[in-house]
Amino acid sequence: MIICSNCQSFFELPKDADDYAEGKGDCVREEKDEKGKFWLSKSTQENSTCSLFKAKH
Amino acid sequence: MATEAKPLEYKGKVIEFPFENPDESNLPLESLHENLAKPSTGRTKRLKARCRWKHTSAGEFVDDSVRAGIERMRYITESYRESEGRPEVIRRALGLANILEKNTVILQEDEFILGFNAERPNYVPMYPELSPYTVLDYMQGKYAPQPASEAQEIVQYWSKHSLLTHAAPYFTQDEMDRMNQVSTMSAPPFASGFSSMIPPYETVLEDGLLKRIQLAEEHLREAKEKMAAPYWNAGERLELIAKIDVWQAMIIADKAVISWARRHARLCKIVAENFESNPKRQEELLEMAEISHRIPAEPCKGLKDAMQAKWYAFLICHAIERYASGYAQKEDKLLWPYYKASVIDKTSQPMTHGDAVELFEIERLKVSEHGAGKGRLYRETFPGANDLFILAVGGLNRDGSDGCNDCTDAILEAARNIRTTEPSIVFRWSPKGRLKTKRLVFECIRDGLGFPSIKHDAIGTAQMIYFSQFSKNGNGATLEEAHDWCNVLCMSPGLVGRRKTQKTRSEGGNSVFMAKIFEVTLNNGFDWSYSDMQIGPETGDIEDLKTFEDLWEAYRKQYQYCVNMVSSAKDVSRYFEIRYLQMPFVSSIDDGCMELGMDANELSEQPNPWINPITTVVAANSMVAMKKLIYDDKKYTLTQLKNALFNNWEGYEEMRKDFLNAPKFGNDDEYADQIVKRFYEDIISDELRKIYNYSGAPQLPSGQAVGMSIEAGSRVGPTPDGRFGGQACDDGGISPHLGTDKKGPTAVLRSVSQVNAATQKANLLNQRLSQPIMRSKHGFKIWLAYMNTWHDLNIDHVQFNVVSTEEMRAAQKEPEKHQDLIVRVAGYSARFVDLTTYGQETIIRRSEQDYSAEDLEYLGVEL
Repeated sequence: MIICSNCQSFFELPKDADDYAEGKGDCVREEKDEKGKFWLSKSTQENSTCSLFKAKH
Repeated sequence: MATEAKPLEYKGKVIEFPFENPDESNLPLESLHENLAKPSTGRTKRLKARCRWKHTSAGEFVDDSVRAGIERMRYITESYRESEGRPEVIRRALGLANILEKNTVILQEDEFILGFNAERPNYVPMYPELSPYTVLDYMQGKYAPQPASEAQEIVQYWSKHSLLTHAAPYFTQDEMDRMNQVSTMSAPPFASGFSSMIPPYETVLEDGLLKRIQLAEEHLREAKEKMAAPYWNAGERLELIAKIDVWQAMIIADKAVISWARRHARLCKIVAENFESNPKRQEELLEMAEISHRIPAEPCKGLKDAMQAKWYAFLICHAIERYASGYAQKEDKLLWPYYKASVIDKTSQPMTHGDAVELFEIERLKVSEHGAGKGRLYRETFPGANDLFILAVGGLNRDGSDGCNDCTDAILEAARNIRTTEPSIVFRWSPKGRLKTKRLVFECIRDGLGFPSIKHDAIGTAQMIYFSQFSKNGNGATLEEAHDWCNVLCMSPGLVGRRKTQKTRSEGGNSVFMAKIFEVTLNNGFDWSYSDMQIGPETGDIEDLKTFEDLWEAYRKQYQYCVNMVSSAKDVSRYFEIRYLQMPFVSSIDDGCMELGMDANELSEQPNPWINPITTVVAANSMVAMKKLIYDDKKYTLTQLKNALFNNWEGYEEMRKDFLNAPKFGNDDEYADQIVKRFYEDIISDELRKIYNYSGAPQLPSGQAVGMSIEAGSRVGPTPDGRFGGQACDDGGISPHLGTDKKGPTAVLRSVSQVNAATQKANLLNQRLSQPIMRSKHGFKIWLAYMNTWHDLNIDHVQFNVVSTEEMRAAQKEPEKHQDLIVRVAGYSARFVDLTTYGQETIIRRSEQDYSAEDLEYLGVEL
């Protein structure tokens, strides 16, 4: 299924996180441009969908 | 090739000026500054090479990839829509919390300091609650936030709720039109939302936010108990309602900041474990994760903690809770305990002095990537830079001992090594300052950074004491605390520390343009050359100014009108900032706000009011020229002058030369200097001091120019100092006008010293010094003597350009080869090639001060 929890970029929040909520995770993506690599992290829910989905190996 | 200064006969000897570093004679003069950067590590070299500057030039971002982000305005607006009906201060806290919970956090390659203000590293954040029209400006260009339809909806929402919407009805349309011309007065601060502040970083580093939350919770509990206890007393207790809201807002804000920092910690850990293959970097990322999990929640232990906690606090205070320009802090004092723990005692996060220097280089590069979603006017006002970032070092400690320490040196070494335009540095000059540190100050200046700029330590401290007497709650600076100050932004001192710091630009700031005021004084308050409208009161036509005193008093009335208007605009802004732009996070880290349950906009313990007169010397020189040629010598009539000015001197070239050659300020000329002194003291200062601001204190003038000497000059018609309409004006508060100081550097000092520094809040003095002398083996000795003389003459400020005309001309031809050429514009430095050609020419036109034997004798130099 194309939902965040099945995506390579999804990292479930640890239970002791301040912002912990059931099903909440960090969407972490690596990007690169002419200035170098950088990583972006955004809050998401495990059942969300998005166009950048990449299935977990 | 670089050439040495010519030999000079001095005290019966011929003095040669060989380079201090003999190898420099092999360096090409046209590209000297491209050979001076020496990043201390491979990491800082890489970080500089890939730095994402946000410099602007003529109002446009130099880097084509810069864009306006949408996340900040999306999440504050989303929160506001959901929180209608809640107390405003709570809404502000919830807005911040929503941003921090949902925004994108970023980690870049090689970074050590975490945290950014927008969703991508090449983006700048937007502040629709300050100025929806600024967002509209971005939307019309290539930087437009996306999706455009969402941005449009956000603008529509805030067009009913912004600071401008609240404040504008208290001014007539005529008054708004006059201010919005930005010709005699700056635009009202409630239109731009421009601000500056000094965050009380000390509490974040010393206490940590968990402690601040605990304090707020204790106050909250006590207040609620008091509300409930018998017997009810309305007079005492109703005021607790507002305080309860403020403490609750503080708790919401601080919890959100801790959680946001820990999102960064998680990101580092995820990258270390899933993306990074270099074991050394993996280890570092895990260390960064550990720091951001613990900081700023807990007190800092070492220098890495303190740097990270300071950066997080900076981002919230200056870029996320609201926008505020600046990087105000007394950095060597603030970080000294952590530097000592890490570098000297090695009790926490042990490191060498060299490691600390690398950390300060990293900090400089972090600031260099920090952009602001400012409106066009403010992008034009600071050309060649991202924004204004100025930190302070040096001076004296509270007990009167030397404030310079090894941390000061690390900060200065980093600045010299890495060569970035920002952050600029202010060095507080005291005779007690140690020579080792002054040598580093010299090296930064000699190498052409344009900073540190120098402030007179005792003058700044005395000013803090002066203003403390007006404190509304009787809790202004103590004699000891008065030593703890930095520059709020470019020039004006303000307290640092756990409380009593300046929190908003509506305390001090807002500008009047003195040359333009002079122009309209000669035309009955009508602006014929730019706005074509009545811009000031009717004080008579030029032919009515029969005597010099008539001219003087007409100018006084025009000036009175302008300073009164901009002062009221400032305080009306403050009134609405208190009600709609509360800063729960800033309040939570201020001991006064915490104790009293008051918002940082509202609580004023130490007044610090000022207004910025800009382009003063053109006005003053015009006054001198008219006195000489019209009222004293009677060589020309007022009608002749009127005709010449209305024709922009065309057809009046001989007459213009006479006015151009009339006595000018900056040449130790008694005739000019006495008029100019009176102008600064009797009009500029005395009239302003009649106006009391929100904090209950009389205002003082803070003469500076930022980039406005260039930009504002274009709106000023021809002036009686011989200047053509549209030409640049003088570049600082008390800097002689471009190229008109012809009697050497010590004559400038003697002229400037005529004005009593205690009557002014600050006054910017730009000087351009001879590069061959500064780089010679005698350079430090001569400069030190100059500085000691400057200090003894009781002058507030001085800053230097040390760059050759040859190199600037070469950079104009091949800008891509001169990325490291930095020049001092006003209270900040800029990358030369990022300035407009017009702006570059104003730097080149400044008099390059050489030293004659008479100068050296006056300075008492032994060579």
